[in-house]
Amino acid sequence: MDPSEVEFLAEKELVKIIPNFSLDKIYLIGGDLGPFNPGLPVDVPLWLALNFKQRQKCRIIPPDWMDVEKLEEIRELEKREEAFTPVPSPYYMELTKLLLNHASDNIPKADEIRTLVKDIWDTRIAKLRLSADSFISQQEAHAKLDNLTLMEINTIREFLLDSLNCMYKLRSNLQPGSSGRTFTDF
Amino acid sequence: MLSEAEALKNSFENFLSLDDILLSHQRLPVRTECAFPRLGFLDRSSDSEDLPEGTKMELPLWLSKGLYERKRRVLSVKLPNVYREGWRTVFTADPNVVNLHKMGPYYYGLGSQMLHFDSPENTDIAQTLLQTFIGRFRRVMDCSQNAYNEDTSSLLERLDCLEKALFQAGQSGLNGFQSWEKGRASQLTASSLVLNYRKRKMADVED
Repeated sequence: MDPSEVEFLAEKELVKIIPNFSLDKIYLIGGDLGPFNPGLPVDVPLWLALNFKQRQKCRIIPPDWMDVEKLEEIRELEKREEAFTPVPSPYYMELTKLLLNHASDNIPKADEIRTLVKDIWDTRIAKLRLSADSFISQQEAHAKLDNLTLMEINTIREFLLDSLNCMYKLRSNLQPGSSGRTFTDF
Repeated sequence: MLSEAEALKNSFENFLSLDDILLSHQRLPVRTECAFPRLGFLDRSSDSEDLPEGTKMELPLWLSKGLYERKRRVLSVKLPNVYREGWRTVFTADPNVVNLHKMGPYYYGLGSQMLHFDSPENTDIAQTLLQTFIGRFRRVMDCSQNAYNEDTSSLLERLDCLEKALFQAGQSGLNGFQSWEKGRASQLTASSLVLNYRKRKMADVED
């Protein structure tokens, strides 16, 4: 899976915007949106919010969790806990990147937020690698990881699956009676 | 999650895989258990037309595997040094220290194939292979996931082919994420073929 595909899935998340135009309710296949009145906040999917923002037709309101103090708390919690803590949003990384790239004027302290989210990401990825390493070194049969987001899973997926495949092949060498016989002959 | 093409690529012995073909060309020291009439030319150092019983020479893996029979009437294969007791102790002590590329670039592949030859040390060899892989896994993961946009040749030179493939997989995950984060994922760039062949623009062609 491409990071772009994960970003595409993230764009379905709802964000609040304040439009500067008016429009009646629109009926889309995925659901109804609107009506849009200037100055009144309305919830729309991220893809629409970004589109309006680029055409300067709205102002985006950052989600509740995109606040310096809250993110600092989350970062401290993440550093203290060994397991993965619940994330503010299942697509926090993508939302941060998109909103900070397109709507940084609507978000206070954008740079600090970027750094905080990066810290949280780095901590979580480090935990993920640690748990992958212990998974392999103890040759567990299965593992359960809560609170992982799709983007984190996506970065490690190819590597981990390939390694597990190799381990499986090497382990099947140990099985009595099948020592290499399962391999195709030339 | 894996497409069929990826599953095929992942299978250890794939008939058309270049890595497997190169692997099967690795030479093994063998000892003939019976005479090979009129095949004296196989052994460069011998002058006679026949290969007498008990000749020691090297044959590639694909030939040894084909000729080997359980009743051992044809040849017996000597275990290469890397898989013997001495080296096995080194691997158990610290797998990260060894330069697996120098030890034969196909350590894991060849090791798995050696198990065909019914040596009494088979279980130990298989155990060592697995433990070495597990021991080196952390190093390979850290290197592949952290080296972004750097020259990785010094990291790669101690890895065997299997580990190199894993390294590439890790790098592609990392590079994909980093280029997405920089916003390069959605930029259209000219294909390298076009740039290299320097295709002329329409205006030039019309002139």
